[in-house]
Amino acid sequence: MISPPTSVPPTTAEPTVEERDERKWVQAHSTTPPTREGTRGVWKVEVPPSQWHISQIQLSQLLHHRLSTLWAEIVPAGTTRLHGLWLGKGPCAGVLVSTELLEGEARVTTLLPHVPSALYFEREVREMFGVEFAEAPDTRPLLLHLSHPAPPFRAPASPNPQDPVSYTFLPTEGEGLYEIPVGPVHAGIIEPGQFRFQVLGEQILNLEVRLGFTHKGTERLFENRTPAQGLPLAESVSGDSSVAGAMAYLEAVEPVLGIRPSEGTQRARGLLLEAERVAFLLGDVSGISMDVGYAAGAAQANVLRQEAYSWLESLTGSRLGRSTLSVGGLYRPLPARALEGLSLRARALSDATRELLEHLDERSSVVDRIHDTGQISREVARNLALVGPVARASGIDGDVRRDRPYGPYREVDVRVALRSAGDVEARLQVKGAEILEACRLVEKFLDGGALDVPRSPETSDPLASGEGMGIVEAPRGELVVAVRLGKDSRVLRVHFRDPSYLNWPAIEYAVRGNIVPDFPLCNKSLNLSYSGFDR
Amino acid sequence: MSTSEDPGKEAQDQGQHSRPTARASPLSEVFGPVVTGPYPLSPADPSRLGARTPVHSRDRCEGSGECVRVCPTEAITVEGRGEEVTFQLDYGRCIFCRRCVDVCPTGALTASPQFELATLQRDDLRLMHSRKREVAPSPPPSQLWEETRQRVSRLFGGSLAVREVDAGSCNGCEVEVSALTWPAYDSERLGIHFVASPRHADALLVTGPVTANMRLALEKTYRATPAPKFVLAVGACGISGGPFRGSPEILGGVGSVVPVQVFVPGCPPRPEALLYGFWLALGKLEQKLHRKGLEVPAGASRGGRPSSGETPKSGPEHGSTDAP
Repeated sequence: MISPPTSVPPTTAEPTVEERDERKWVQAHSTTPPTREGTRGVWKVEVPPSQWHISQIQLSQLLHHRLSTLWAEIVPAGTTRLHGLWLGKGPCAGVLVSTELLEGEARVTTLLPHVPSALYFEREVREMFGVEFAEAPDTRPLLLHLSHPAPPFRAPASPNPQDPVSYTFLPTEGEGLYEIPVGPVHAGIIEPGQFRFQVLGEQILNLEVRLGFTHKGTERLFENRTPAQGLPLAESVSGDSSVAGAMAYLEAVEPVLGIRPSEGTQRARGLLLEAERVAFLLGDVSGISMDVGYAAGAAQANVLRQEAYSWLESLTGSRLGRSTLSVGGLYRPLPARALEGLSLRARALSDATRELLEHLDERSSVVDRIHDTGQISREVARNLALVGPVARASGIDGDVRRDRPYGPYREVDVRVALRSAGDVEARLQVKGAEILEACRLVEKFLDGGALDVPRSPETSDPLASGEGMGIVEAPRGELVVAVRLGKDSRVLRVHFRDPSYLNWPAIEYAVRGNIVPDFPLCNKSLNLSYSGFDR
Repeated sequence: MSTSEDPGKEAQDQGQHSRPTARASPLSEVFGPVVTGPYPLSPADPSRLGARTPVHSRDRCEGSGECVRVCPTEAITVEGRGEEVTFQLDYGRCIFCRRCVDVCPTGALTASPQFELATLQRDDLRLMHSRKREVAPSPPPSQLWEETRQRVSRLFGGSLAVREVDAGSCNGCEVEVSALTWPAYDSERLGIHFVASPRHADALLVTGPVTANMRLALEKTYRATPAPKFVLAVGACGISGGPFRGSPEILGGVGSVVPVQVFVPGCPPRPEALLYGFWLALGKLEQKLHRKGLEVPAGASRGGRPSSGETPKSGPEHGSTDAP
């Protein structure tokens, strides 16, 4: 049996210096006895509102933790609870800082400029919950483009919003400077968003991204559903990686319900997660290839991508692996016919991908376009708290599968690809290596033992309640889901922090000093999810 | 990677309308397997298709209502029990999750790989089992292939330019729409290709539940598209709002903002289902011309524009045409 996901791993060794420092800090700052329940072993620290910003700036500057997510929820009596999740290195390193704001006193001090990655979080919490962040440098709306009578989480039954809110892009002026407005409807088959470029000649001086166009109020739709009823929504936060979305949600929900999926279930999930990663990342190889004008490479990548989607289809019935993961297991077992020969196909796909990557690497016309293009320095990556392959291409060594093993990844070793150049080439290399590694993991899960899946229970304890957290490595990087289940196990609050939420600002840095025609290339190499951001 | 064991045999047997394709090409004899899938030149191999579509057998249904209980999008209603049962399934809401199939106690609901589900009327997506569903049966794929190509040729001069508009989707539909351009589906075989601007598009393919934030952009994109034009509403979200139904931040489907000619259900619809939707849309357009007494040049040469003004491609026309 797999150990309960919420428990703290047995301390076999002496605590490290970092662990001691963290424990000391936690004990010194929490107003209530600190616990590690329901947070994947991360310390829960309650602070008074006046300490909200100070405590987190300390976590950043003293303990060198990074802000993973920040969210709010309304608890009965109109009180707002704010949470900031700070993660460190090590399987349980991290602190969840929480504070409680009484009705009418919804005000704390901003984490900016000390924590640059807090910007979007604070703007969202401000518009959705009416929490004011004193001294905030930017209070423009983020996801809401139309005026709402009250912050949406405070007014559950507001009608369709109508009037546009005012929004100003950062102004620029100067001789010879011009702006290029783009979007929200883009030229490709992609999601909507607005880009405003400020350009001198061909060179991009500044890019500002405006998102929110696909905001669907998804998090509020979870409310009052049973955990199982929330799954279709979890799969539709960012639909091109829906298996990962379901996994993150289940990682949060299952421990609260007291459910421990069997090892066979976890292996089966691991197989699907890695198959999805293969298909997803091949799309990035195709996109980069296409945007340097090398259509042959793109076509070949899409041939391989089709193969990966055909795995998912034969395993789950759905090309995107939809409606397969269930609370406690899988909705239906993986068909034996689909598993047969899959190992060989994974090996063959891996070989073909390697060949394609080598081929691209030998094309000077490709390399010339991607080398040095769209650079994101390690420092910027750290300051923005970037995650996933994008961060790994800028020298940030982190992968949830290896660092905080969950579900299927407790059984396997994940080899993490790392580059330091931070350009499109490095991102292509990291993503390429991750395809090969995912193919290897597919084989591992297939060889790791039976993939038997017991027909899952809806819930083992229909009255279970409490909070849970899922932290997984989606194809785009660290994905965090926080849930609170009420007395009858119904969802009170779900918070989805897509990896793209942290990574979106990266594009504004990546394109600086680049020429306009390289923007699509930078964009493809980052492959950011609009829907994941907007929800 | 899908190899074909019978490269194009069937297609070549179709007679004069057939034309060699990648799949049918004798090149495959020399250069190995061809990656482009058979549909719609010949039927898709059902053994390669996931069975996701819930199909209801009237004879077996006893009206337990279990399906209604588990359906995440309220796509099913059941009234009465036993002999008197009325079962209704709305493919426009269905996300093809098969939960209903899993729980059906009598086996009345089964999962099928069928994907030719698109309709011209929203109502036709509601399968109601106290009356027979009045939908013309799908033609054999080879006919679909030939008719699509002919219609693209006659109506749009051999090239149907499509503009994709994501009106707030989860981006799952985008995977399948862009797959139409992959070697596996290669919609350009049929003259269907995607363009970067609505200004020179013939059709809009719209996904997503239409978020409040995208409404204006969708309206403007529609207006910017010159007539004649048609709109495909794609996916459960594009038809009904799908899993996002009930959110105040969405309008609940493309039809609530612009006129829709074809509804393509799915979550997301597979690329073959989109091709089927295009065939349907083109057929409707042709019928419309017939009704107006306009002759569509039957044997228009491939790739040539119609000679006279039968298919007027005038300047931008503002949203008044093509009401469903």
